[in-house]
Amino acid sequence: MVQLRPRASRVPASAMVDEGQPASEEEEAAEHGLLLGQPSSGAAAEPLEEEDGEGDDEFDDEAPEELTFASAQAEAREEERRVRESVRRDKTLLKEKRKRREELFIEQKKRKLLPDNILEKLTTAGQTRIKKSSGKLKEATLQKKKEEYEKGSVSKNAEEKVQKVQSVGQNKSYWALRLKDQDLRDSRQEAAKAFIQNSLYGPGTNRTTINKFLSLENKRLPVKKAAAQFLNSAWGTQKKQNAKRFKRRWMVRKMKTSKK
Amino acid sequence: MGEFKVHRVRFFNYVPSGIRCVAYNNQSNRLAVSRTDGTVEIYNLSANYFQEKFFPGHESRATEALCWAKGQRLFSAGLNGEIIEYDLQALNIKYAVDAFGGPIWSMAISPHGSQLLVGCEDGSVKLFQITLDKIQFERNFDRQKSRILSLSWHPSGTHVAAGSIDYISVFDVKSGSAVHKMLVDRQYMSVSKRKCIIWGVAFLSDGTVISVDSAGKVQFWDSATGTLVKNHLIASADVQSIAVSDQEDSFVVGTAEGTVFHFQLVSVTSNSSEKQWVRTKPFQHHTHDVRAVAHSPTALISGGTDTHLVIRPLMEKVEVKNYDAALRKITFPHRRLISCSKKRQLLLFQFAHHLELWRLGSTVATGKPWKFLVPGKNGDTLPLSKDADHLLHLKTKGPENIICSCISPCGSWIAYSTTSRFFLYRLNYEHDNISLQRVSKMPAFLRSALQILFSEDSTKLFVASNQGSLHVIRLLEGSFKHLHTFQPQSGTVESMCLLAVSPDGNWLAASGTSAGVHVYNIKHLKLHCTVPSYNFPVTALAIAPNTNNLVIAHSDQQVFEYSIPDKQYTEWSRTIQKQGFHYLWLQRDTPITHISFHPKRPMHILLHDAYMFCIIDKSLPLPNDKTLLYNPLPPTNESDVIRRRTAHAFKISKIYKPLLFMDLLDERTLVAVERPLDDIIAQLPPPIKKKKFGT
Repeated sequence: MVQLRPRASRVPASAMVDEGQPASEEEEAAEHGLLLGQPSSGAAAEPLEEEDGEGDDEFDDEAPEELTFASAQAEAREEERRVRESVRRDKTLLKEKRKRREELFIEQKKRKLLPDNILEKLTTAGQTRIKKSSGKLKEATLQKKKEEYEKGSVSKNAEEKVQKVQSVGQNKSYWALRLKDQDLRDSRQEAAKAFIQNSLYGPGTNRTTINKFLSLENKRLPVKKAAAQFLNSAWGTQKKQNAKRFKRRWMVRKMKTSKK
Repeated sequence: MGEFKVHRVRFFNYVPSGIRCVAYNNQSNRLAVSRTDGTVEIYNLSANYFQEKFFPGHESRATEALCWAKGQRLFSAGLNGEIIEYDLQALNIKYAVDAFGGPIWSMAISPHGSQLLVGCEDGSVKLFQITLDKIQFERNFDRQKSRILSLSWHPSGTHVAAGSIDYISVFDVKSGSAVHKMLVDRQYMSVSKRKCIIWGVAFLSDGTVISVDSAGKVQFWDSATGTLVKNHLIASADVQSIAVSDQEDSFVVGTAEGTVFHFQLVSVTSNSSEKQWVRTKPFQHHTHDVRAVAHSPTALISGGTDTHLVIRPLMEKVEVKNYDAALRKITFPHRRLISCSKKRQLLLFQFAHHLELWRLGSTVATGKPWKFLVPGKNGDTLPLSKDADHLLHLKTKGPENIICSCISPCGSWIAYSTTSRFFLYRLNYEHDNISLQRVSKMPAFLRSALQILFSEDSTKLFVASNQGSLHVIRLLEGSFKHLHTFQPQSGTVESMCLLAVSPDGNWLAASGTSAGVHVYNIKHLKLHCTVPSYNFPVTALAIAPNTNNLVIAHSDQQVFEYSIPDKQYTEWSRTIQKQGFHYLWLQRDTPITHISFHPKRPMHILLHDAYMFCIIDKSLPLPNDKTLLYNPLPPTNESDVIRRRTAHAFKISKIYKPLLFMDLLDERTLVAVERPLDDIIAQLPPPIKKKKFGT
């Protein structure tokens, strides 16, 4: 059985099979087996390459080595088995990792959630009646409760923007709001306000400042007057304040020295 | 009259908010006006255009549409997506219904008054059914591509025209589908990149749809065929509002340049029956955008960003050509926004979201005093040795506007109220510093107060709530005790608007919107008497120091004097009612907002409105229609006889105007808070550019 010396090029095994004549079925089978079984062509290329290297050294001098079919087949099977084992090990490792992460998350969630008895009360209260609660709460505490109950809220009506829950605690009454809906509503309101602002005062509208508007008359008088808001009294307020303070202190100092 | 030192105060930085919507109700002749900060005011046009009710604003309630429904119900819709109904008796909000369509841009009530349409941001037109006490969602019309900015019903209720961006759709109400879609040119006969926004539509009964848009065009469309009939280019800026009269023979449009145009249906030649729409009158009463117009049977009403409300009666519709046919411009508030502490010379200014406390300046110089009413003999302007001091800037928490506020005469208590809370603060003065302490745990029934008043000795606080009840609270050192509540009389809810307390602390007078003025005895905590009701609302109340005479000013400029211990009108009041006021006195535009008295001169009553202040001297004879009302004292070289002949009881001075507040601080000092119109205009948003030749 003569195995044609494979070229040194890195053409994949299938191309080599086409070019050179398949010397033997075994070789073909081995190559195909290699192609079919391996997930990565790198593993398949390796054994071939080793043979390549060796083949190049003894290029002109020696006769090609002999390979039986059985040995090649055994080798191929070994390879497959090894690869399968490694894949299985990888999979189990990944599974373990995922399991651990899940457990961690569940634990964290449990820590953040309220104790079970309150959650039970919530579900029963929510199912029996939902009616408005009339108590008043300051804004800050309402926000906090909103965030708390967002995680633990049981029934969420897609249509109802505001879900009012019967009071559960001792003396408290509150409303639970979905913050997601509130953001949507605010963003739409902002968009509407921006539209009005843009269409009335945006680019393309022919607007002018109040100063120019009121000064039009002054410009057409026979004796031209200054603009309506000629002085900018807001200029340099900090400087003026500093100057006033300095002047007061200087006067006091002057009084003291003149007394002496 | 005496000589006074006058503190002229101009540091009250009062800027009203612009008018956004106006709605006229024909049955009761009332006008509902909504402003950009969410306040809704109700003006009674037959009571001399007096603002009789108002709903305080809210930061999130930017109204975009306001409508009256059948049976005196008022609805508004805004950018927060809710439809709100107002309770006109109790002066609060009945309920708010979310339309679930995003921000609401327009609203229209059907001609029968039973259905309500809203146009939303997402392009949907929603139909609601108006039931006895609520509104109920019925169905959606076909959804359009862009936001629905204006809506109008056909008078028969079968079709609806909706103006959007670049097109107008006509819907059939029964099926809810769009029958026609009329595309609007972006610019008059030329190309433009800016989208054409249809700010207003009106549907006439002959099928014509009138549209006004941001390119300055007024267009007439035929809704049966969906085609343009006539095009009028009237402005180079947006035309922002339209209102049609009930008879459909005239309509009014308002532009962004401040001009209001009147269109009328006029026959082509004098005896032909064919009529056409002609632009007849332009009115330039505004400087900024006119965002809302209304058409009453006899007048054109317009309001806009420059905060004036202008009511222009149409000469051809007015029956009697008297002072009623004059232009009315309402600029200044009809309530008092300033309170004064006489002992410490402090002024408390009320803004929408904060309060400011100022101490008046003082002067040690003496100069020639102002001799009032003497022309050519002006007093000196005295230089201030100590400037007016801004002591406190108190911001309110929350989005609601402040309804009313007051400072006690001794200057150590400040109270103010919003719709949901009541705040009471105690002030301590050490040398030149002041410290503020809040009194916590105010009871819930005090919120939404319409008027707050402290007694003269600052031990009692009187609060008039919008439910009609009057609360009396005793103030102790840093805390309070609820003494008594006077419940409304006959079970009807009637909000008490104005309060007055006598300086000796025995009597409290409270006026409601319809019943007469009630006088309560504080010592015995019961109702003493009721002044008979008058058909015009009360604008100012005060009780005189020693005589305990109650002086009442009404919106038709009548002034009554009622003696509380005797339970009847005084002699002077009967005399002047018999003779009648001078015709010029009755023709004044603005209501009297404050009445005060001189401590040493019981015959003098000091009152003021926005453009004049007057000292009524009860000992002098009354003027009849022939005498000159505004007659400053003649110069001293005139003979005594002439002076005695022309002197009459009403001493009017127009030196300080526009006046927001005027009071007597002590025997020789007056304080006058002025607000020049230019200072208000200087803080308004930018107007449209006007091109004038030569500038």
